[in-house]
Amino acid sequence: MKKPEHLLAPALLGIGVLAFLAAWAHRLAIGAAPSAGIALLLALSGFLLALYAAPRAGLWGTLALVAAGAGLASVWNANLALFTVLSGLLLYLGLRRRLPEPAQAAFWGWAFVWPSLALVLVWHVFPSLYAFYISLFDRVSFIAKSRFVGLLNYQILFHDPLFWRALSNTFWYVVFTVPTGIVLGTLVAILLNERVRFLGLFRTLYFLPYITALTAAAAVWMWIYHPEFGFLNWLLGTPGFDWLHTPDGVFGLLLRPLGVELKGFLAGPSVAFVAIMAMSVWHLLGYNVVILLAGLQSIPRQYYEAAMIDGATWWQLQRYITWPLLSPTTFFLAIIGLIGAFQVFTQVYVMTPTGGVLNDTLTVTMYLYNKGFRDSDFSYASAIAVVVFFVILALTLLQKRVLERRVTYGE
Amino acid sequence: MASRLRYLLGRVLIYAVLTAGAVGMAFPFYWMLATSVKSPQEAQQAVPVWVPERMKPKNWQAAARLGAEGGSRLFGGFFPGRTVRFLIRTEGESPPPRARVPKPPGAFHDPLSEGTRIEVRRVPGGWRFSFTNATDRRFRLLPVVIYLPKSYGAFSPELAPDAIRSAGDYWRLEWVNLSPGLFGYVFHNYREAWNAAPFARYFYVSFVTAGTQVLLGLFLAAMAGFAFARIPFPGRELVFLLFLATMMVPGEVLLIPNYILLAKLGWLDTFYALIVPWLASVFGIFLLRQFYRSLPQDLFDAARIDGASYLVMLFRIALPLAVPGLITYGIFSFLGAYNALLWPLIVTQSPEMRTVQVGLQAFIGEAGSDYGQLMAASTMAILPIVLGYFLAQRQFIEGIARSGIK
Repeated sequence: MKKPEHLLAPALLGIGVLAFLAAWAHRLAIGAAPSAGIALLLALSGFLLALYAAPRAGLWGTLALVAAGAGLASVWNANLALFTVLSGLLLYLGLRRRLPEPAQAAFWGWAFVWPSLALVLVWHVFPSLYAFYISLFDRVSFIAKSRFVGLLNYQILFHDPLFWRALSNTFWYVVFTVPTGIVLGTLVAILLNERVRFLGLFRTLYFLPYITALTAAAAVWMWIYHPEFGFLNWLLGTPGFDWLHTPDGVFGLLLRPLGVELKGFLAGPSVAFVAIMAMSVWHLLGYNVVILLAGLQSIPRQYYEAAMIDGATWWQLQRYITWPLLSPTTFFLAIIGLIGAFQVFTQVYVMTPTGGVLNDTLTVTMYLYNKGFRDSDFSYASAIAVVVFFVILALTLLQKRVLERRVTYGE
Repeated sequence: MASRLRYLLGRVLIYAVLTAGAVGMAFPFYWMLATSVKSPQEAQQAVPVWVPERMKPKNWQAAARLGAEGGSRLFGGFFPGRTVRFLIRTEGESPPPRARVPKPPGAFHDPLSEGTRIEVRRVPGGWRFSFTNATDRRFRLLPVVIYLPKSYGAFSPELAPDAIRSAGDYWRLEWVNLSPGLFGYVFHNYREAWNAAPFARYFYVSFVTAGTQVLLGLFLAAMAGFAFARIPFPGRELVFLLFLATMMVPGEVLLIPNYILLAKLGWLDTFYALIVPWLASVFGIFLLRQFYRSLPQDLFDAARIDGASYLVMLFRIALPLAVPGLITYGIFSFLGAYNALLWPLIVTQSPEMRTVQVGLQAFIGEAGSDYGQLMAASTMAILPIVLGYFLAQRQFIEGIARSGIK
């Protein structure tokens, strides 16, 4: 980029978009930053840029200058900042014959990226920071001005038994569903990869639950779990057993005959929650199978043929060839599964709308939903969200440390 | 010989395990479909009913004939002046049965019973009931209750009743619709569910939301992905890093701030709230970037030498070659948008803005114990996606598989 004027057009684009966002931030009174001043400054610098460039771009340059001038009016109407963006476009049209290759690339690159970038800034980047910001206030609401309280919400959160309950429930959910899904998925994928007939039919049957909406699937499983007329109770010969309203922990139930009494966290997830987990594994299995099958098919056949000539048994083939060469895929599924499982909401909300008996199926996302949208305590809910972010981050990093050492990246 | 036997045994084992698993995976679907054509009494049996009455061809014939008499052969109905004749075969002699058209519970009901003339006549081998619509109005359903003395040795109605209950010395036989027509009979629960809640509106909202999200999202991701893959512009690495970073933030964190933002914009309970926040998908941009990078660079160099601008390169060369990638992302974002519950639940309040999933979730609470209707509603909710899957099976599977390759 030899001459600075080659960057004028893309710079105007960026300045225009940012001025637009700043002007809107001012209009909506979001945050404490002096967004009106920033917007004015941006629009002004856009105008000066256009003034500098206009003589070089002929008629288009004049139009660009007019547009940049109109962009200054964004002080009165936020939408007018878009004129600064327009001025960038006009300037490029004026200069394009004389612009060298890198300058053209700069303009088009930014022009293609800005629409997405602006949306990502508004709906992803800004909210991530804003969540932390409002968690520092006392009950942010639309009506009253709220007080800055620092980390008080976090302090309350760490002494909130319901939050710990939700966190431990979610922990059990992750621990139960992610490995089960991967192990079952690997088994099915390995069997499907044995050149079976009706591969398409089998794959469809295993895959269909994944594309089924969770709401509908949860309704079906509620019906299967129904205490009086449910199919499961008929199958197991346990008439009247209310799967979704049994808060006893499964470890506690299993060990009770042995005379061991487990309480609290150690009693494990409740029967109701395990029922929901079973449904979730059913739902997710197809995804794992398809991904693992693709992973299996990318393992070269020669490895197996060579090992078979050496007299390896079927089990040895799976253990020493399939498992290590499949490990990148398994690792990917573990990470994706963890992040997804930690945010479980839909099936829990549909099957146990109140969080179950004694909050035995309350998950973190559901607690966040309850706090934010039932109790309208946005600040507290944001504190939950921030903690969830760090927990997921920590778990992902931990998983990377622990598991990635065992991952074999082939070739 | 021994190895051949072991091979065969292994094959049998593979198929046994796979089949058992597949049956387990498919069973909930079968159970949903079976229940969706059951009457409440059939659904609420202690021993499961494997083949519901509404799936039996014998009943289809009777339903079509009764429907033709009342209104239409396929959709039934009870039209003005029409007479529906219905036969119950009985054995032995006993007091005559009684028939009536029940009033549905609740304050508002079809004023059906006042206008229906009922005749009960003895015919050889049984009793014939005639229901005549003496009003000048058209009714959707003809609900009928017949009391049959228990003293008859055996009886067989032309159309299997939806419920049989004991009432003193009588059997109380109930039909929710004695003039159903073929489809009206088999899909009774579907029709009732469709009428019980504004599902047409739910589907409209869902399709507009998911469709817009897919189209605009594709457009945005196709442009940004191309820039990241093929245009060397200053600041590219920085922006890319920013995008990468946003992938680390779980969607949960965004719920509250985005809700507040929408509230300030006055967009709550509008299509904007459903669509705009999720338009730019970092996942989609990455996916398409990978796709463009797999295309040979020579192609783009050649185009550049021929004087094609980046705009032309994107729309004339890159996009047509990236169609599989576009389909992958399109399927993903449609699935995500159509199946989502949490976000639409948060940002919509009025029934007019409910998506299918939110509507279904509300319906689960309202349907009460009518599991037939609930399962019919669930079937309708997943039908578009399942149909789409069967139409584009390969794209679905390959698309999902591709998403896993990093």
